[in-house]
Amino acid sequence: MEQTLPTMVFALLSVLLIGLSLVVVTARSVFRGAIALTAALGVVAGLFAFLGADFVAASQLLIYVGGIMIIMLFVIMLSQRPQDQYDRQTNEQWVWGAFFALAVSCALIMQFRSVYRGIFATTVAMPTTASIGRLLLGDMVVPFEAVSLVLLAALVGAVYFGLDDKDRT
Amino acid sequence: MFELGPILSHAFQALQAWVIGHGVPPMGAWILAKAIQVGVVVIGVSLVPMILVYAERKVAGFMQARLGPMNVGPYGIFQTLADGVKLLFKEDIIPVGSDRLVHILAPMVVVSPVFVCFAPVPFGKGLVPIDLDIGVLFIFAISGISTIGVLMAGWGSGNKFSMLGGLRGAAQLVSYEIPRVLSVVPVLMFYGTQSLRGIAMSQEGLWHGFLPRWFIFYPVIGQLAFIIFIIASVAETNRTPFDIPEAESELVAGFHTEFSGLKFALLFLAEYAYVFLSSAMAVALFFGGGEGFTLGGWIPTWVWFLGKTFSIVFIFLWFRWTFPRLRADQLMQFCWKFLLPWSIVNITLAGLMILLRK
Repeated sequence: MEQTLPTMVFALLSVLLIGLSLVVVTARSVFRGAIALTAALGVVAGLFAFLGADFVAASQLLIYVGGIMIIMLFVIMLSQRPQDQYDRQTNEQWVWGAFFALAVSCALIMQFRSVYRGIFATTVAMPTTASIGRLLLGDMVVPFEAVSLVLLAALVGAVYFGLDDKDRT
Repeated sequence: MFELGPILSHAFQALQAWVIGHGVPPMGAWILAKAIQVGVVVIGVSLVPMILVYAERKVAGFMQARLGPMNVGPYGIFQTLADGVKLLFKEDIIPVGSDRLVHILAPMVVVSPVFVCFAPVPFGKGLVPIDLDIGVLFIFAISGISTIGVLMAGWGSGNKFSMLGGLRGAAQLVSYEIPRVLSVVPVLMFYGTQSLRGIAMSQEGLWHGFLPRWFIFYPVIGQLAFIIFIIASVAETNRTPFDIPEAESELVAGFHTEFSGLKFALLFLAEYAYVFLSSAMAVALFFGGGEGFTLGGWIPTWVWFLGKTFSIVFIFLWFRWTFPRLRADQLMQFCWKFLLPWSIVNITLAGLMILLRK
């Protein structure tokens, strides 16, 4: 096989990612699951870095690992009860759930195999920050600002729902 | 004069040539050289906290009109070494009610990002471990991982004090990360790069023949950015007056209550290494990195860099023994109602200044 080292790195990252994702859904303790999710998101950042997208990799770490996951862990620490450890992890419909999950994944895999054959990405680390900045504040400035408006609306909505009933006027 | 950068690169080239001469393939020689370089950085970063702990105890002593450690070695310089040996031989206790795996992993998660963070720091001319194009963002992103470790330490210890400390730590670290990142944005806007080496190199030379072209000497913008950066950095490293995650008088020792022996030493090492990292970043961003402003190149750049860094470390130590601890709500108000608006004002000012200069 050509390009042995990149393939090996990719295989290693993929195996790590799949393993950690399995831990996320199977771990009994929600906190451990969240830690595994954090690690999985870190591995995704590793995949981005491996594909030469240095800025996206760092942003992935900064936003998902350093921001969102910390908030999630915060909520888990506030809301855990000891008996959660002994609850059943599945309900009566697990057969149907497994069936549909399998069907969807088979359909996706077949689609990707037939439509999108895959390409060997260039793994050369070229600085991408300057071109991303030019795109975001040049051609893409309207969508970029629209997305930030949507995020602002989401924030205002979160504050509104977080208020007590008597404070909402 | 005694520039370390060229000497080291010659040494590594000679080493690679010697190893290849003895029948090792070039790839193996390259990996060996890189491994040694990484080892040098890791050992250096692990040794710095020993100096900082000694400095902290001495500075504390002098500020409280006493001598500090005096007994172990001349002026007590071997005190930290003795402490380290003591911590090595202490019993490692894992509490019964704890989440064992999380408890064991937590100190590692806190400590390992620190070493990675030193990769893009320019210690002097030609002394950058890796000159990353995204240097500043890289440091912020990687150091965010340590926050997860603080939460794991708080949860994994399985007691209320640790849990409260972990919760407080998460709230504080996430909040202060934002003004810290935003305070650096004007620097990036002026120099048009995120590489710490590039930023440090852009600050060479003098204004009007006497004032160094450091970012901190830009009127208003420079000082405001530096003040916000240093305050947010003190908060990010959990030091007094922002040490509510480990407030001794309220939470025993916060998230590291249940850690003993080497695990406690690791948590301690991470804290002091982050103090050093913040100071090194401040030097590269605001004080021209290894660029000296006097004595015409007689002092090598790495000495300048370390000298400036330890001066900023002194500010951190000084803060600790001068200010009382903030309450949790005061802490949040200070971040969201003072630091954040002013850092946004600063970015606007920097944009105006760049427009006017064109």
